[in-house]
Amino acid sequence: MNIIELQTRCDRVPFFRFLGISILETDETHLLAKMPFEERFIGNPVLDTYHGGIIASFMETIASLSVLDDVNAAPVKPINLAVDYLRPGFAGTLTTRATISRKGRRMASVETLAWLEDESKPVAKGLFHFLLV
Amino acid sequence: MTDVMDEQRFATIANLWNSRAKGLILEMDLKIEQADKNGVQIRMPFNPDFCLDEEGTMLHGGVLTALLDSAFGLANFLAIDDVQTMATLDLRVDYLRPAKSRADVMVFADCYRQTRHIAFGSGKIWFDTGNKEEVARGSATFALTRGNGGSLLDKMKTTGPGS
Repeated sequence: MNIIELQTRCDRVPFFRFLGISILETDETHLLAKMPFEERFIGNPVLDTYHGGIIASFMETIASLSVLDDVNAAPVKPINLAVDYLRPGFAGTLTTRATISRKGRRMASVETLAWLEDESKPVAKGLFHFLLV
Repeated sequence: MTDVMDEQRFATIANLWNSRAKGLILEMDLKIEQADKNGVQIRMPFNPDFCLDEEGTMLHGGVLTALLDSAFGLANFLAIDDVQTMATLDLRVDYLRPAKSRADVMVFADCYRQTRHIAFGSGKIWFDTGNKEEVARGSATFALTRGNGGSLLDKMKTTGPGS
């Protein structure tokens, strides 16, 4: 998929605009994207860290885009998710890589990793299942 | 007597949660409908920014996940007397039906088990349309620190917007 076309598709989705997602790289099995920090993403009012739901939403979005057959394909249907929160999500640009573990005819399983500055110190890890039909 | 004190504590926490809300909690415009040791029920009005389409017919699943996470936080806060800090360890969500409605979104969450270090929560989401069909179900675990001095409640009182 072409990055510019995928970004255009993202920019048409109200919730993706709310998240402010930028697509960075894409190939057959991966998708890389970033999301700059915004005040509206705060979850913990004492520490001003990212809301866990925003991190999960960002990862789900990138995971769901990674399994599209092409940029005009119908959206895939999320079945379930599991997110491990590994470190506090302090204010800063979050990057997520989605890696397709398995994509069959009906189902896809996607792993995601989200980090702030250092990929080796991830903030969260996710596992997402999608229905493709 | 204890019941009265509990009730006051629940009301204080709910008020603080509302008045100190910032970030996503504020954005979601949450209204607490029930808040006690048995769990919390919170209402979220429809918001076109949270939709997958410009026509606003379908909410993104991530919003439901965020709503569950928020409700778990408040439920823990109410159920655990001396909680000092809590961090979400993991969050699991099943999307049971498409989130295809403009009705208010309702969430119920409770802390169904707590140990010294860990809290376990479960929750469900439905649209306020009368049939109460579950749209999503979630569970989460939290790492806790406990103590009497400088509880999360005290920190909430002294920090937040405007301080």
